Amino acid sequence: MTHKIECRHIAKVFIQKGKQRVHVLEDISLFVRDNEFLVILGPGQSGKSTLLRIIAGLETPSEGEVLLDGRPVSGPGPDRGLVFQSYMLFPWKTVLGNVELGPRLRGVPREERRRIAQHYIDLVGLRGFEKHYPHQLSGGMKQRVGIARAYANNPQVMLLDEPFGQLDAQTRYFMEKETARIWETEKRTVLFVTNNIDEAIFLGDRIVTLKGKLPGRMDRVWEVDLPRPREHTDMEFLKLRHTITECCELTL
Amino acid sequence: MAYEEVKVRKPLGLILLPFFSVVCFFGAWELIVRAGIVPATMLAAPSDVGALFVDKLTNPNPDGATIFVHAWVSMQEAFLGYLLALGIGIPLGLFMGWFGVVRGIARPIFELIRPIPPIAWIPLTVFWFGIGLWGKVFIIWLGGVVPCVINAFVGVRMTNPTLIQMARTYGASDWQIFKTLCVPSALPMVFGALQIALASCWTNLVAAELLAADQGLGYLITMGRRLALPDMVVLGMVSVGVMGALIGLAIDEVEKRLLAGIRR
Amino acid sequence: MAEMEEGIQRLGRQDRAIANEVQKSVRERRPLTLRRVITNEYVLHVVSAAAFLTLWHEVAASGVFKGGLCTPWEVVVRFRGLLTDTLAGLTLWGHIAASAQRIAIGFVLASAVAIPLGLFMALNPYVNALVKPVFDIFKPMPPIAWVSIAILWFGVGEESKIFIIIIGTFVPCLLNAYNGIRLIDPELYDVVKVLGGNRWNEILQVSFPASFPAIFAGLQISLSLAWTCVLAAELVASRSGLGFIIVQGMKFTDAALVIGGMVMIALVAWLSSLLIAGLEKLLCPWRRDIRDL
Repeated sequence: MTHKIECRHIAKVFIQKGKQRVHVLEDISLFVRDNEFLVILGPGQSGKSTLLRIIAGLETPSEGEVLLDGRPVSGPGPDRGLVFQSYMLFPWKTVLGNVELGPRLRGVPREERRRIAQHYIDLVGLRGFEKHYPHQLSGGMKQRVGIARAYANNPQVMLLDEPFGQLDAQTRYFMEKETARIWETEKRTVLFVTNNIDEAIFLGDRIVTLKGKLPGRMDRVWEVDLPRPREHTDMEFLKLRHTITECCELTL
Repeated sequence: MAYEEVKVRKPLGLILLPFFSVVCFFGAWELIVRAGIVPATMLAAPSDVGALFVDKLTNPNPDGATIFVHAWVSMQEAFLGYLLALGIGIPLGLFMGWFGVVRGIARPIFELIRPIPPIAWIPLTVFWFGIGLWGKVFIIWLGGVVPCVINAFVGVRMTNPTLIQMARTYGASDWQIFKTLCVPSALPMVFGALQIALASCWTNLVAAELLAADQGLGYLITMGRRLALPDMVVLGMVSVGVMGALIGLAIDEVEKRLLAGIRR
Repeated sequence: MAEMEEGIQRLGRQDRAIANEVQKSVRERRPLTLRRVITNEYVLHVVSAAAFLTLWHEVAASGVFKGGLCTPWEVVVRFRGLLTDTLAGLTLWGHIAASAQRIAIGFVLASAVAIPLGLFMALNPYVNALVKPVFDIFKPMPPIAWVSIAILWFGVGEESKIFIIIIGTFVPCLLNAYNGIRLIDPELYDVVKVLGGNRWNEILQVSFPASFPAIFAGLQISLSLAWTCVLAAELVASRSGLGFIIVQGMKFTDAALVIGGMVMIALVAWLSSLLIAGLEKLLCPWRRDIRDL
């Protein structure tokens, strides 16, 4: 059986300042099942963002390949939606304009793309803010627009790159709940990158941990068998949190 | 993205194209004059300008001075005006940024004078100073002082308010905060003014000399026009351009050194 | 837990307030003392402006500068007269119109060529490699240095003045359009790529709108330079325009004419920059609220 996404022995080398070679990723092999929520957990500077950009097709791997439904990925495409850490909303477009961008680029007629955009704006809880510009929104709201924008393009796979890294703890917690809710309303295959262990356990079906320091390498894969909706204070939750923390700290 | 991928090699076309374009530019210029497409009374070929430059190195005629003298006079005026602009504009801007009283007094007068192009002052300057050195210095000073004041002012106003509050909780006086906090944090903006003010000074120097001068590169251009010698006009323009660019580079270098000194 | 939940829900509702992120500082009431009134900025503005005008009046009236200075009131009277009387066949309005027309023509022509060229240079490395070196040769030359050659080429008529304005406004227009595109965060292009857009979509959706503010900043710089240029051209040779008024004042040692001309130029230049700012507000609605922060 082919998986939704499969990474085969991916390595990435950047060339810095002319000659310096920086190994960012080494021998990453992983797969994501259909409609699975996979979290990639790793400390800062472990190359996890680069991995996501390679899967998105924005970077080409130096070695190995990425397969989507068994076919190799050669560049970015609307079948994969990316949510950026720094939101990357277009400041010159309203919330509606940002969300409907994907359908618009694909030539969806105006009425239809309005309907789609409105659906996802409602889904992320931004009804009433359609005419607002990004600078009028708080960080959490901005990222909701980012999520709605990716969803509105109807991708098969959602890639989220530390989407809540810039939010304060309370908003972050709230956005995690929202993400879980949105995902359960409209299931997609999700690849979620984070450096926050609570976030990883709260959201993921499985967690892939990366080793710290460059080059990023696979550490372990954890199954999270907790029922949803999850609670940060569950005994099981805390136990798993403890186990993963212990294990990761040992390798540091 | 935090990582930058270095392009392996520029395509050959991109390396050669700039040379090609410069050669074409000068070639076309030379050609249209030589072929008589543009009459020789209107434009001089680059080779003529070069020849005149060599000649003007030693020959003071017909405009009364060698090119060195013209350049030296212009440099003198520009630097006097520039230094005075820095010396007065930057402290004024810094004070205006921090002290409300200074701001209250200086701002309306500054706002009154700011939108008037320095060139418009030339007649008054001639009334007041005649056509000597100081009239021109005044025009150049006017051109340079405005960006100095604005940048220094904005630099101080952009000081992180949290740092100011922190200093206040340590009991620092207004003057201490100004000296140890506002001035250093305004420095990058102030350095930015060095270049802007220089460009402005240099432009206004030419303006001042076009209208009221008996020596200087601007005067060389004017004489070229009066005597209908296009090679002299072009020589003057090129000299102004080259010197402006050279001084700009020098200031750039100074700026880099100073900023490196601060960052250390 | 439930409390926290509720707090977060409330937070959601308050998002609108957070969105504005405007911190209203708490105003404390302090007693109104004489010292505070005197050191109030606005009071000082009035005092300073009044003192400036008084000083000007006194110096002018004392006659130290002879014909080289006149009182503010004389300037006002002189220019009130010019509203109906003519100077070289034109009223004040006629001279303003003459200068403004030159600026408008030169400004429109220059920006119509320079902005697209700047955009092209930033978007295509080959256009850049071809144009940039020649542009760099011209860049450091002050536009006013072109006055003489303009007169040699076009005589003293309208063409030479418009030519100078084009030269002066070209550089900042081009540079800002160019830098406006080069300074765009490359990740914004990634957004379009990931959504399935092609290179043309990238240019249309990202490059153009993102460079708008920079282009408008360039237009503002250009405009103030254009006023300097038109003035320089008119000072050297002209029969109309605000620069001509100043030259006339210089010829006849009529300080009222000179100073009045200066004030008019400042006024008209200021008004025209308001026009550009208004245009920017109209075309870049997303920047309306961030301007003054």
